[in-house]
Parts: sequence; C-alpha cells; structure tokens
Amino acid sequence: MTIAQDALQLPHLNYGALAPMLILFGAAAVGVLIEAFVPRRSRYALQLVLGLGALVAALIVVITESGTRELTAGAAIALDGPALFLQGSLAALGIVALLLIAERTLEPGGPFVAAAAVTAGTEEDRTQAAREDAGTEVYPLLLFALGGMMLFVSANDLLTMFVALEVFSLPLYLMCGLARRRRLLSQESAMKYFLLGSFASAFFLFGIAMLYGFSGQISFAGIHSAIQTSTQSTTLLYIGLALVALGLLFKAAAAPFHVWIPDVYQGAPTPITAFMSACTKVAAFGALIRVLYVAFQGTDWDFRPVIGAIAVLTMLVGSILSVTQTDIKRLLAYSSIANAGYILVGVLGLSKDGLSSTLFYLVTYGFTVIAAFGVVTLVRDADGEATHLSRWAGLGRRSPLYAGLFTFLMLAFAGIPLTSGFTGKFAVFAAAIGGGQSWLVVFGVVSSMILAFPYLRVVVMMWLSEPGESTPTVSIPGALTSATLAIGGLATLVLGVVPAPLLDLTNHAAQFIR
Amino acid sequence: MSHSILAAAAGQMGTGEKVFFWIFGPLALIGAIGMVWARNAVHSALFLVLTMLSLGVFYVLQAGPFIGMVQIIVYTGAIMMLFLFVLMLVGRDSSDALIETLRGQRTAAILIGLGFAGLVCTAIARAMGSVSAKGLDAANQANGGNVQGIAALLFTKYVFAFEVTSALLITAAVGAMILAHVERRRENRLSQVDLMKARFAPGNYPGPKPGPGVYATSDSVATPALLPDGTFADRSVSKILPTRELSGAESAPKGTER
Amino acid sequence: MNLGQWVPIVGLVVLGALFALFSVAIAPVVGPNRPNRAKLSAYECGIEPTPEPVGSGRRFPVKFYLTAMLFIVFDIEIIFLYPWAVSFNALGTFGFVEMLLFIATAFVAYAYVWRRGGLDWD
Repeated sequence: MTIAQDALQLPHLNYGALAPMLILFGAAAVGVLIEAFVPRRSRYALQLVLGLGALVAALIVVITESGTRELTAGAAIALDGPALFLQGSLAALGIVALLLIAERTLEPGGPFVAAAAVTAGTEEDRTQAAREDAGTEVYPLLLFALGGMMLFVSANDLLTMFVALEVFSLPLYLMCGLARRRRLLSQESAMKYFLLGSFASAFFLFGIAMLYGFSGQISFAGIHSAIQTSTQSTTLLYIGLALVALGLLFKAAAAPFHVWIPDVYQGAPTPITAFMSACTKVAAFGALIRVLYVAFQGTDWDFRPVIGAIAVLTMLVGSILSVTQTDIKRLLAYSSIANAGYILVGVLGLSKDGLSSTLFYLVTYGFTVIAAFGVVTLVRDADGEATHLSRWAGLGRRSPLYAGLFTFLMLAFAGIPLTSGFTGKFAVFAAAIGGGQSWLVVFGVVSSMILAFPYLRVVVMMWLSEPGESTPTVSIPGALTSATLAIGGLATLVLGVVPAPLLDLTNHAAQFIR
Repeated sequence: MSHSILAAAAGQMGTGEKVFFWIFGPLALIGAIGMVWARNAVHSALFLVLTMLSLGVFYVLQAGPFIGMVQIIVYTGAIMMLFLFVLMLVGRDSSDALIETLRGQRTAAILIGLGFAGLVCTAIARAMGSVSAKGLDAANQANGGNVQGIAALLFTKYVFAFEVTSALLITAAVGAMILAHVERRRENRLSQVDLMKARFAPGNYPGPKPGPGVYATSDSVATPALLPDGTFADRSVSKILPTRELSGAESAPKGTER
Repeated sequence: MNLGQWVPIVGLVVLGALFALFSVAIAPVVGPNRPNRAKLSAYECGIEPTPEPVGSGRRFPVKFYLTAMLFIVFDIEIIFLYPWAVSFNALGTFGFVEMLLFIATAFVAYAYVWRRGGLDWD
C-alpha cells in the first residue's frame, strides 16, 4: 500500500504548449483582482490593456508552439495540429471581439450595464442608465470563456472536456445578461441560455457515463480501442455517442437543438452576440470533430447518416426561417444556424480534407460574422440599436461606407466568389463530395440559394429605398470598432481572393493525434 | 442505483449492507414521493433532503465513501440550502403559472419525456444483460482506499482539469455578485451631517414619536394612542405594522389572574 | 466492502437522534406545566404572530442568495481539500504546490467578494 502511494508523480506538463491557456486563466484572475482593488475609474483602461495583452501573448505563444504534436498533462490534453490551429483562431477572433466589446464611444459608457443587480425599469435603473460608467467584469469573464474554449478544443478525455465546457459556458451565460439597454430582454436571454445550456450539459454528462459503462474509459484513445476490441453490447456506446453529440451540437447550434439561438442572439449585448457566434462555434465544432474523428472513428457508418440528417435539417431550418425574419439580429442568428449546417457537412467528410475545410470555414465565418455584428452596433437611434429590418431601409444613402461594408459581408454569407464565404463553402462541399456525401451537398446548395434571398433583401432595402423619417443614423465608430470592422472586412476579402496560405495551414494542421 | 439493485438481485451483498439497503431504500422512496406530493414547498425541500441523505448512504455502502461524503456535504448541505433560499426568494406561497404560452406544450413535454425515459431505460436494461458489474474493490485497493484513489487521479492525471475548476469557482462567485449585489456608491452614502440636516429640515418632526396606546385599551403595539381630543395618533403605530381592531376574544381578560 | 469502519459513525448518528427525541419527549413530562392562554401565545408585543417575511407575501432579501452561493463556492473548495488531506504524504511537494495554487485562485474570488462589499450586511 505504501509502495503504491509513494509512486505518485506529477505528470509531465509541457508548460510551453499549455502557456496560452495558462496566460488567459492567469490574466483573467488578475482581471478579477483589478475589479477588487483598483478604483472604478481606472478599471476600464487596465482591463482592456490586460485583455488585449493576454490574447496577443497567447496568440504569439500558439504560433511559436505550432510545431508541437504531443499529449501532455497525463494525456488529458492533446496539443496537436487541429488543437493549436483552433486555439490560435480563438485567440485571433477573441482579439477582434474584445475590440468590439470595449467600444465606448457609440453610447456613453458602452454597451454594458453598470450594476446588473439593479432591478430593470426602476428609478435607480434609469439613473444608472444615464450615468457614464459601466461594469468591467465582462473582460475577465471573456478571458475565462476563451481559456475554457481553448481547453475545450484540446481536451483529450471526456472529463477534461466537460470541465472545459462548464468553464466557458458559465461566463457566456453571465455576459448575455449584462446589456445596458433592453435589460429585461437581455436577462431573459441569459436565463434561457442558462437553463437550456444546463440541460445540454446534463445530457453530455449522462453520455459520458454511458460511454464509461461501455468502455471503462473516458479517454478518447481508450474509447477508440474499446470500439475496436470490445465484445460488449454496443447499446451503451450508441446511447453515449448520441447524448455526447447532443451536448456538443447544442453549443454548435445545430437543429433541432437550435431553439435558444434566436432569442439569445437577439437579447444579448451585440458585441457578446458577435463573440458567441464566432468563438462558441469554433469551440463547439473543435470539440465535435475531435470526438468524432478521434474517439468514434470506428463507428462512422453508424453516426454518419444520423448526423447527416441533422446537418440537412439544420441547413433547411436555418435558411427557411431566416427568410421570415424582420429583425437583423434574429436574421443573423438563423444564418448562423444554417452555417452550422454547412460546417457539419464539412465535418462529415470524415477525411483529412473534411477536417481542414472545417477548420478553414470556422475561421472565415468567425471574422465575417464579427464584422457583421459590428455594423449592427453602429446603426442606432435614441433608444440604442435599431435592429428592425424596416429601419434599415435607405441606409445606403445615409452612410454608403458602412452600408457598402455590410453589403460585402452579406455577399460573403451568401457565398459569392471573391469572398471568404465562397472559398469556405467550396472547401466543405468539396470535402463532403470527396467523402462520398454528395446528398449533403445537394441540400447545402439548395439551402444556400434559399439563404441568399434574405441577405439580398437586406442589401436591396439598404440601397434601393429612400431614407425615411425613421431611418436611424449610422454612428461614426470609434477606433476600436473601426479596427474590428477593418480586420473582419479585410479577412473576408483576403481569404476570398488569396485563400491558399490559410488552406495550406489548415492542411498542415489537419492531423489528430490519439 | 441500477448497480445496487442488480447487486441486490444477485445476492452479492453482505448482511450489514442488506440491512442498510432495506432501511434507506424505503426512506429514499418516501422522500421522493413526499417531495412531489407535499403541498408546501419547504416540506417538499425537506423531503428532498431525506432522499439525498439516503443516496449518500447508498454511495457509502457501494464502496464509494468519497462520493457519499460529497453527496452529504455539497448536496444536502450547500445545494439544499440554496434551494431553500431560492424558495424563500420566490415566496413560499407562489405556485406555477397555469397558463400555457404554447398550446399543448405540457402534454408534448410529458409524452416526449416519458418516451425518452422509456427508450433509455429499455436500452440500458438490455445492455446490462451483457455487462458484468466490476465493483470498486480493485480500484479502491490500488492506492490504499477510495479517497486515496481519487486523490491519485485528481492530482496527477487530471491535475489540469482540477486547477481549471478554480476558474469555475471564480466565475460562480463573480456571477453571484454581479447578479445579486448592488454596490453602494460613495455619492449615495449619507454622512452624519446630511442625516442631521434631513432631520431638522422643514416638514420633518425631529422629536421622538408618541408611543402606542398599549396600556390604555389593549396590550398591542398595533393599537394607536389617543390624542387629547379622542382621535387616533396615527404616528404612534409603526408603519410596518398593520393597524387592527381587537376582536372581543382578544381584548377579553386572558385568564392570568388565576 | 468492510462496513465495520462505519460503526462509530452510525453509532454517533443514532445517539444524536436518540438524544434529540429524548429531550423533546421528556420535557413536557418532567417540567412544570401551568398554561394559560396568554402564556401559550407567542410573545410579539401583543401583535398577532404572523410568519414573517414569507407568509405575508413578502420575500427574503436577495442577500441570502448571495450568501448561499458564496457558501457553495467555498464548500466545493473544501471537497477538493478532502482527498488532498487524506493523501497528503503520498502527494508530496507537488500536491502541496497544486493545492496552494488552487487555494490562491479561489482566494481571488474571496478578495473580489470582500472588496466589493459582498460580505457586508447592511
């Protein structure tokens, strides 16, 4: 007994490769300390510098570590090509989203409420809405979320993955409820997201238990070898796979687990919506491809038709329902659902091409969608953002620059050539055809055509209508939002015109280790 | 749970284990049924405590003392306390809204829930036929005990997940503060000078208020004092008390003279 | 498994329950008992006793929720301390450092709550 106990050793930790996560968690903890000890007026600048510094440092470390291919921390964390690529994308998208979150020139104090605990609609709430200060807890929460997402995409066993899932979900639930305006809507979205997210987590956990019952393992390598060799009944395996996939597809916003998306995207503060639509998608699909490619590789024939059906349903639901939307944030939410379907098509290529095209799509979509929500924050009237589509009529005359940018982003969503949306869609559809999944591509093309209609309707409304009395103004963005829009727009253009470098990078990265 | 039932059916348990199972099994069941049936939400929560405690005993019986302790310390201790507080926050008397916003939602939810439960239960029941329960004995002996085994895993293989859990704890604390704590702003804090100014401002009566008419007609502080002209002195009754008229029984002698 | 090690705990639980039941049962028997209506009514300055604050439609202040939530956070920290303490010798220095790190990060939460006035009751 004593011999066994003395043998306990700290597992090897590759601190260099774990550094991006350590930096983010450390910076987040420092951020909370800033909230505790620094006077209110100095917090904003400090938090912004700390957050940007940490994300840039994390990105640099990921780039210097890009050659790492190893399992570390007792094989609980896999730092391989896809993990490092996704961590890098999360850091890059996180920087862009942070710039949008930190914008304070569009309205006094920025988009976040000063004291979220004050009851909405009371006298006290009205006075605080008029004041020019805002809560800065959102910055450490953002860093915690990004750190959790990085762990989520690199977790090599289900337990670590579950901890990471909770670490990044909890800050997201909170951030959704912090809007300065329309606070009840924001709180409702946080509540919905929290309740449904808890259910999804519970299903995920239940699935882990089933998989453990089947294989006696929770590591992906262990499950994989159990699938090859086990003589047990596979019922537990399939229940487990279904429930784990359900938890992940919920985060990834695939139908029929998408119902939370429109309400949450609409109610959350727009910069947080931008962050969620880009980074949560990266994290959720990053984890999904690792689970499907690493742990369940031996069961492709069983899960492929089911997830294929989900992909088709997702694309159709997203595209058809986006036609009926009258609110720009809800329209983008349904478009995000449809895009989850396209990414699933890439995932189901189940090949190196499928993996690399999925990685590529996630990055291109992330930059485009952050820029699109960035434009949404600019269109404002006295009550805050004017998100009803009818209010956008004639915006092209008011502000040709931003209407032009939004048009370009809409064309990218619609998959017009010379935009990153086209190259991304082309890559995932090609991978699916290569994997013998042409039926998915047929539905993908059909739904893309349906989806082009609402995008083009917005474009037509902006340019071909006369601005009326109620047409809101387009605010002049501050430096931070300008940077977001510039980065997002440029990425959309460059990745559409010269996608080769990023495609090479994803091809190079597209190899899991087990 | 299913393991304990299976083990019980297979007759692998010792006598002590059996005795405890048959004591705490019914208790857990009574708690669960009571939780659903209790009219009063607080009673419902207390029944849930009974069930959770019994489950904790089950975990201990099944060679998992660590999870048993966690069940008792975290669930019956902390989580139940939070449950009770939330019940108090919402108000004990408030009941569910009976209006369905989506027509047929409740029926559909019940049907789908039952269907899902049936599906999972039959599947597990079928799968269990080919599974032989291993038990925790081997795992518990590897490191000299159940808790030691947990420690060996927690602090070596899963050390990163363990440390990251602290991020979750920080987030939870920050979230609770954000959602429930209104910080007192410095400019809203009243100094002694401000308080005195407010006290002697015109329109405010600075002296002590008149006492209630406790010994005049009754022994209740809710009885207003009488002014010289016979009218009620409203300010003699604290604002948080409902003013009330005493019934005959209440103002009658209480029988203390015996 | 060997249930023998639990006998003292079971004994303690049984003793505790017996003591509580005994106290409640014995008090009315041995104590003097001369009731009247005034003695039996709860003393609240003559106010009809009402179950405050829940019964009268009022609610608990949300402060209680904050306290409960913070309690849970540190309760969970304690759960991690338990296996660490049991295996302290086997874990050695690295276990000690790991736990220090964990406690330090949990202390960040404490510092935040304390500085923001979450522990004040006013």
